[in-house]
Amino acid sequence: MDLNRRNFLTGSLGAATMMGLAACSSVHSNSADSTTSSSSAAVGAAGSSTTAAPSTTAASGSGVTPSSSAPSSAVAVKGDISFSFWGGSTGETAGFNHAKKMFESANPGTTINLKIVPYDGFFAGIDRGIQAGNAPDIFRVDYTTIGKYSGKGVLLDVSPYFDAAEIDAFLPALWEGIKYDGVPYGVPHQTDTTCIVYSKAAFETAGITSVPTTLASAWSWEEFSAVATKLRASLPDKKFPFAYDWTQAGAFRWLSWLYQAGGTLLTPDLKKVALPSAAATEAMDYTKSFFTNKWTPDSATIKTSQYSDNFFLSQIVPMSFIGDFLVPELADPKSGYKGEWGATYMPQHKAAASDLGGNAIVARKDTKNPELAAAFLKFLVSEDIMKYFCEQAIELPTLKSLASADLKYAYRPDVVKICAEQASTISDTIVKESTVGSFASINTVLQDQLELAFHGKSSADTISAIASGVTSALGS
Amino acid sequence: MTSSRMAVPVADGGAGAQLLQPGRPPVRRRRGGTLAGWTFLAPNLILSGVFLLLPLVLAIIISFQKRESLGTPEFLGVNNYLDLVVDPVFWEALWNTAVFTICTVPVGMALGLGIAYLLNGLLPGRTLYRSIIFLPLVISGVATGVLGSWMFDQYNGFINNLLATFGIDGPNWQSDGGWAMFSVILMTLWQRVGFDMLIYLAGLQGVGQDVLEAASIDGATGWQKFRRVTFPLLGPSTFFLLIMNLIYSFQIFDTVFAMTAGGPGYSTTMLVTYAYQTGFGEHGSGQLGYAATIGVVIFLITLVITVVQWRANKSRDQVG
Repeated sequence: MDLNRRNFLTGSLGAATMMGLAACSSVHSNSADSTTSSSSAAVGAAGSSTTAAPSTTAASGSGVTPSSSAPSSAVAVKGDISFSFWGGSTGETAGFNHAKKMFESANPGTTINLKIVPYDGFFAGIDRGIQAGNAPDIFRVDYTTIGKYSGKGVLLDVSPYFDAAEIDAFLPALWEGIKYDGVPYGVPHQTDTTCIVYSKAAFETAGITSVPTTLASAWSWEEFSAVATKLRASLPDKKFPFAYDWTQAGAFRWLSWLYQAGGTLLTPDLKKVALPSAAATEAMDYTKSFFTNKWTPDSATIKTSQYSDNFFLSQIVPMSFIGDFLVPELADPKSGYKGEWGATYMPQHKAAASDLGGNAIVARKDTKNPELAAAFLKFLVSEDIMKYFCEQAIELPTLKSLASADLKYAYRPDVVKICAEQASTISDTIVKESTVGSFASINTVLQDQLELAFHGKSSADTISAIASGVTSALGS
Repeated sequence: MTSSRMAVPVADGGAGAQLLQPGRPPVRRRRGGTLAGWTFLAPNLILSGVFLLLPLVLAIIISFQKRESLGTPEFLGVNNYLDLVVDPVFWEALWNTAVFTICTVPVGMALGLGIAYLLNGLLPGRTLYRSIIFLPLVISGVATGVLGSWMFDQYNGFINNLLATFGIDGPNWQSDGGWAMFSVILMTLWQRVGFDMLIYLAGLQGVGQDVLEAASIDGATGWQKFRRVTFPLLGPSTFFLLIMNLIYSFQIFDTVFAMTAGGPGYSTTMLVTYAYQTGFGEHGSGQLGYAATIGVVIFLITLVITVVQWRANKSRDQVG
């Protein structure tokens, strides 16, 4: 194209427009805004060092649990509200249906409209509903996502509905998990975490004669490496010792290795990234070695359509890290694991650690009937209702009184007991870091960078990229 | 064409032709006709406006914003576009999309044409074959992707198990980027070749036997008849398929997402996959503004390809 006066002027005008537009803002899409960068648990647990554990060895709570018959405000509630959740299993759906039925019969004139929505797209639907003003009054949200909603100020502050004794009935770290800037938004409904399941026959073939039976005797990293080495030697080339549950949105579970190595992701005030660190390098090197040592299938990385339980069920691996909510799937007589299987604890290194799984139940701030919403939230975490739900869904309770109680799980209570003990390794730090407002963005950074690390990117470069991405997500 | 029917050019011997409107209808009749015309047009205009133009305009507006799924949007100017230029994942996704398009469009069309040509003859059971080849098209892309992930499972999948029975060590379909891309291309071809076949079959039905007979009489061989007669007469079908396939390939999402989730690494991350993960990924960063920017770029690329094709094939739609 010839350069003439018109072209020159047009080009200059275009360039000036671009520069002008660029100068309009120094903000970028991937930088955090001030409302989401602060911590959900910045106030902390009042110095508590209590873990999230529904530990089987924990002392029983104060004995004061939220009443199962009426809210503490003792105000008669009426009307109808909607409650949206994803039915992770038939047990979960049965648990919520039971709660609805019991609540409606205990509170005549109330109706809880249950909406069961597929997990895929669940939060996108909630977000659209909030923007459009027609989101459900109450919805389920996992602890690693709750900060996104509480940070944006769209959730109901439940502090007027819970007195000190009722708050004390919860495992402290889990109550902290639903707080943002010291304010509780919702109720901790259940929790779950990762433990190891293994094939007894494969272990026997590999000459592994015993597995840890107490949390204190969990494998060290060295012992775990020795187990993996023995399994590797006993397996054919196309089978591998184990798979880890970091697939896709589970990428944050890599952090368990970081915590086990004595590191943290964020600084204690949760405002800055605590990487790079020696612990991060150690955790990264160790987890990368899973692939170089052929302990883990090459395809069991982050961006894959196969999860750790798929590898275990298809017997590609004789050992797998899974969440306890998958126990019913493995124990299913028809489609479950073919062969005898047991469970044991996560390995430990400088510390024992596991991931914060599970869900809270929250209400929308602009719900038309906050009294009814709060009453139903309280009802869901009342002792009888929570017990029934956890027994049906094979999940762990959040009330101290139930943590030490003997729940009658429908499948493999021995495995659930191990997971419950494992949950005692979810420290306050893990809870705080997992519930920061920008954790969803941090998890995306982990997904992208861990995937590259497991395909050859160096530990130093990966940690540097994670640090940069987390800093951007925090807006620090 | 319309104006030449409605108006008669009249030479006035000097200043050029003037248009004389013969037999103008009465005003009321004209108004009635205009109203009827708008009535017929209105549904299409409303639907196009609400479901095509409005979202397009909104997407362009959002691409200039920092917008998350919750909260108030913030105007960013062109920062999203500037970030995109220096975003290595975007360039990798663009490259992957280009490779995917180059591999799927010509191969798919060639296969579709070949199958259509074979099934256009007097083959016994041809209706059954046509149905079988067309069947994958009615399966959703997600189902195709899930099926692909099972078939190409490198440790326990059908393909590698089949290869193993012949003593062949199957490739690493999931952990090797090149093989992962190849598996996605194969599944896409499997799904799409039925559509190409169908359009070419329709085109072949329109190729007159008289023209082919004339070519035979002139001494043309079978290949010459195909190359010099049939293929040129299939011009409109080829043009239509080229545009549709290019757009389809550039907007590939569901099959890839369900099959490889964009991995390993970013080796099968396509532009739309990247946009989705950026904007809508469950537990993702929820950067709707940045995702819209990627969407606008996809739109512009598709527009450029279509315009270039349109101009290059301007005469084609008059053929056949």
